[in-house]
Amino acid sequence: MSDDDNQPTAARVPSHLEFKATLLLITLLVLVGGAALYLSYARGAFESTQRLVLIADDSEGVGVGMDMTFAGFPIGRVRHIELGPDGNARIAVDVALKDAHWLRQSSVFAIQRGVVGNTSIRAFTGILTDPPLPDGAERSVLRGDATAEIPHLMAEARQLLQNLNAMTTNDSALSATLANVQSFTDKLKGPGGAMGALVGSDADAKKLITALDRTNTLLARLDGLAAKADTQVFGNDGLVRDARTTVTQLNAMLLDARASLQKVDAVLAEAKAVGANVNAATTDLGALRTDVETSLRNVDGLIIELNRKWPFKRDTELKLP
Amino acid sequence: MLQIWCSKYYTNCFGGEVEPQRRAGGARHYHAGMATLRNLQDAVGDIGRDSFRSSIGWSVSWWYVVHAGALVLVLGLSPSTWVRSSRAALARHVYLGTAPMLPWFALLSALASVVIIRIVVVTALSYGLSQYALEMVVRVLVLELIPLTAALFVALRATVPSGTELTALHASGALHAQEQAGADPLRHELLPRVIAGMFAVLLLAAVSCVIAMLLAYFAVYGFSVGGLAGFTRTLGQIFDPGVSMIFALKTLFFSFAVALIPVAAFLRGPQSAVAPGARSSRELDSLVRLFTAILAIEIVSLMGNYY
Repeated sequence: MSDDDNQPTAARVPSHLEFKATLLLITLLVLVGGAALYLSYARGAFESTQRLVLIADDSEGVGVGMDMTFAGFPIGRVRHIELGPDGNARIAVDVALKDAHWLRQSSVFAIQRGVVGNTSIRAFTGILTDPPLPDGAERSVLRGDATAEIPHLMAEARQLLQNLNAMTTNDSALSATLANVQSFTDKLKGPGGAMGALVGSDADAKKLITALDRTNTLLARLDGLAAKADTQVFGNDGLVRDARTTVTQLNAMLLDARASLQKVDAVLAEAKAVGANVNAATTDLGALRTDVETSLRNVDGLIIELNRKWPFKRDTELKLP
Repeated sequence: MLQIWCSKYYTNCFGGEVEPQRRAGGARHYHAGMATLRNLQDAVGDIGRDSFRSSIGWSVSWWYVVHAGALVLVLGLSPSTWVRSSRAALARHVYLGTAPMLPWFALLSALASVVIIRIVVVTALSYGLSQYALEMVVRVLVLELIPLTAALFVALRATVPSGTELTALHASGALHAQEQAGADPLRHELLPRVIAGMFAVLLLAAVSCVIAMLLAYFAVYGFSVGGLAGFTRTLGQIFDPGVSMIFALKTLFFSFAVALIPVAAFLRGPQSAVAPGARSSRELDSLVRLFTAILAIEIVSLMGNYY
């Protein structure tokens, strides 16, 4: 080892070494700090969000950080997934407030799985004038996966076939209904036609036709009767004209009656005055009666005195034998 | 004591002078047929002893790495280390260990990134999976290849030669002379080299990652800012907290391994460095140990990311 090797760096020390080293250090710090800030921004650390909980029966393919798209644009991120107490998956999605107006009360959410296994969460809003979706809203999510719908579709198809079998058996209600329809159409083709089918037998149908004929005759008579009644009522000598005259006379009589009543009112006023006078006289009669009673009592005493003093006094006392 | 023991171990292990005498001596005392059997037993015994000694030596060499790491940690956290002379030495090592290779590495990394990005994008497009091209490019380049390449590049260009140079200084007595002159070799030679190696790995990885992401953006979206929102969102999806933490830890441990393992040989002592062919052997040993450490870190990070 030579002496040059022992001092390997002393000969090639550039100028402003500490400044350049500091510059490199600042470069590293700026790169690392900038990357951290940018990734935080990319993960939505600086944006205001509102929470939306999607409830799905199967969250396969859904991962934390996955986008929720509206019309192909990402508007939210899956924050966490948990299994709810009812056995359904609860997918918590943070929706940016600036994009939250795209979600309405009537919005529909779907999980769709592509051909190569990628899964996406999509939001659909049909009526943009609906009230906006509130924070913390919970919505059921639909599965857009065709293969996931196959078992459900098969179950429904099986149920449908069972219902069809039940409907098409010989003793089913549908068969009975069809038999009834056939007998109905047979009756339609019979001599009674639709009338016979409706009333049940040809004889009844004939009776009904006879009743209709008689009804027609009755209606013709009623027509003539109505014409006569019209003449009687609305003719020149009809009831209406008489009634109009009678009404005129009644008006005149009412005028007379009103005048009579006014006279009666005057009589009543006089009677009222007479009544007042009688009332006053009655008051005087009370005093007069007292005087009369006093006079009578005096006369009575006088008569008694005369009887006692009269010489031909009769013994008025009755004695029993 | 540890250094003396290890020096003896290396002398026994690589000298090869004792074993032939034992074999020759053993052959003199037995019949010819028995001698063959005895030679076979000796050979098997030698293999066992060599494997045992190699294992011990391998473990001891890792102990030196841990020792060097502890020394650097203690020195780095000691306020007395950061005097002006130490800062000047650190600045010299940081600048000279990073600046000369930064442009070249950035250029080579950009060229390799362009090729890989183009291959991935065209392949994804042909399969109708263009929406995954950007994510795949970022995962392959930024998360995996660039930190690994930066670590290997710094190791080959800076830290392994630096460790060999440090060992040579130790062997030539220059460090002892510095110590006699009142300077601390650990503070002025060991610590700046380790920190410079770590800094170089981190800076090269950071610069190359930024360049690779810019190239990926231009390759996928063209020279337009219209795709910036989608690009940002894709990066946000890729770099979730777990992946980001594993990426940061992996790069940090790469830098630790690249900076510490080559200079850890310095602590073994100067004896082996002056032996004939010892320098190339020491560099090879450091490289093997370094590759092993990097491989282990990469495997652990892959398991953390994808399992």
